[in-house]
Amino acid sequence: MNKRPFLGWFVSPAGLVAVGLIAALLAVFQYSVRAYVPGSLDVGDFTLQNFAAMLRPLYAFAFGNTVLLCFETAVFTLLLAYPLAYALVRTNSSALRSFILIVSVTPLFLGEVVRTYSWMIVLGNNGFLNTLLIKLGLLERPVQMMFTAGGVVAALVHVTMPIMVIMLAAALSHIDRNYEKAAESLGAGPVRIFFTITLPLSMPGIVAGFSTAFAWTFSAFATPQLIGGGRVSTVSTLIYQLGFSSFNFPFAASLSLIGLALSLAVIALLKKAASPLERMAGST
Amino acid sequence: MLMRTDRTTANRFAAGSDKVRPAVQLDGVTKRFGGSVALHEAWLKIQPSEFMTLLGPSGCGKTTLLNLVAGFLEADNGEIFIEGALVTETPAHMREIGIVFQNYALFPHMSVANNIAYGLKTRGIDKREIGRRVEEALALVKLSGFADRKPRQLSGGQQQRVALARALVIKPKVLLLDEPFSALDKNLRGSMQVELKQIQRELGVTTIFVTHDQGEALSMSDRIAVMSAGRIRQIAAPDDIYRRPADRFVASFVGDANILSGRIVERQGDSAIVAIGDVRVNLAAAPIAALSIGDAVDVFVRPEHLTVTAQGASNALRGTVATQVFQGDHVDLYIDAPGIAAERILLRAPGIAMLSSCPAGVEVGLKIDSDDIVAFPPGAAP
Repeated sequence: MNKRPFLGWFVSPAGLVAVGLIAALLAVFQYSVRAYVPGSLDVGDFTLQNFAAMLRPLYAFAFGNTVLLCFETAVFTLLLAYPLAYALVRTNSSALRSFILIVSVTPLFLGEVVRTYSWMIVLGNNGFLNTLLIKLGLLERPVQMMFTAGGVVAALVHVTMPIMVIMLAAALSHIDRNYEKAAESLGAGPVRIFFTITLPLSMPGIVAGFSTAFAWTFSAFATPQLIGGGRVSTVSTLIYQLGFSSFNFPFAASLSLIGLALSLAVIALLKKAASPLERMAGST
Repeated sequence: MLMRTDRTTANRFAAGSDKVRPAVQLDGVTKRFGGSVALHEAWLKIQPSEFMTLLGPSGCGKTTLLNLVAGFLEADNGEIFIEGALVTETPAHMREIGIVFQNYALFPHMSVANNIAYGLKTRGIDKREIGRRVEEALALVKLSGFADRKPRQLSGGQQQRVALARALVIKPKVLLLDEPFSALDKNLRGSMQVELKQIQRELGVTTIFVTHDQGEALSMSDRIAVMSAGRIRQIAAPDDIYRRPADRFVASFVGDANILSGRIVERQGDSAIVAIGDVRVNLAAAPIAALSIGDAVDVFVRPEHLTVTAQGASNALRGTVATQVFQGDHVDLYIDAPGIAAERILLRAPGIAMLSSCPAGVEVGLKIDSDDIVAFPPGAAP
């Protein structure tokens, strides 16, 4: 007798999705090893030429740039999200809690394109931020923020913030408050308690949030495309240009595969680097 | 008055011995949460080296009182002194108090040694001294050789020892124990109680122990503060609490008690004579001072203070055995005595002879065989 009679039925939707995903991946793989026929949407014979072409500096630079962008985004997101998550978990005021939740989670419901357009309004040369700073007399001329890596990172931080706040809040809420009370009774002030107890014990959440932010940013397209305006080159914008401007599907496919492999590798590396920290936190 | 002090002077920790400066003193401390009062004007003096237990059901305010002494909560009214110094506004990390939590709260990311060293490091003590004192603390709780383990590699009892060592190594002014035995199984609990009491006496550390278990309270404490609904009902030595409870709540919460209905027949100074059926008992008049002769009272009689005699014996109550429960070293007899007690009377008879001599359905005589009988005005708990 099967002890979980509905398991098969419940798993079937996920199975269907998985089949679709695997089929798509196989198709991408298939494209990646085909030759590009200029001027045609059809592909040529089997070849490894696409992967060899990736070693050219232009593409290597896009990869390096993407990793850097992801790293910066994850770091800034972590720094901004941690205090928010901490306040969210620890405040006694339900008004403050709702406020933080609304501020940090609503971006999830706006969609990447809408959020990115808002950032374009904020970051433009005649945008909100420049206008404000000039009106306040802090700037004489507008500072270029659109079409820069800095602008892209700012917008990406906003995109990844909700998930980071949620993951950190989950980790922080699992920390028994008695640990902090015990430390306090043993003579530790708030700062020492934070760095010796709270921070190490929230390490699993930090690692999970950081990796997720990294992976999200790696695959982000609309934000670097619109705010970078072609001047900030990332793997995803490159794939777009190759696929939909040059219609070089085979090369776009091979770039996608390498991009996927690279982001998995970086996340695995992060996990590896963080595992001593996580073990230290004792919740692995 | 909300609080009664103990009546014995024999106890070395008797309240009111103001010659020694109390280790902990609460002067009318009140704590409210929202609209409800968690602790109502608590007055309490704990002497140096005393083992003081806060006993009461959950929600009685004992944990609130503990948190106020620890500094985790701020009092709304009243003052708290530790070793004579006013600490009402002092933050917890400056109070020099050791705490053992119910779940021990050992830092999971630190070794046993680092857990114990934590309080020494915050004090900026040098490394060699820390090493020495950690070793000493581990030896005290019989865990030498466990220094490098992680808390999750220890059993519940071992974790508790580490928690105790961590709290004691800083030489706290007061040791606070928040239901420390409730997570242990019964056998271990007994041996840990003995051991904790021994360590406490050896070090002479002033201790406040919070529990809802009257057995723990009676066996470990120098004095017990019985609490209910945010108020301290009685502060006294364990035997006083048991023998001379100050009110109905204390009488029924600590130990078992049969409630028999009686009537005041005579009053002589400090004592009164109360008739229960045909039986007359002599008891303290203070708790029923407000009543007059002829008034009904509830008489509290412990199960072990009743003995079975022949039916029809003089000066004995009459009842019928309803059930008997064999308990190994003694027999619990449940006796119906309509008119005398609303509920079945519990009688604890030593030995197992009662099993055969008092089967269910037999009529028996009951003798009240103790001076430790108390009476209170009738009614629900005050």
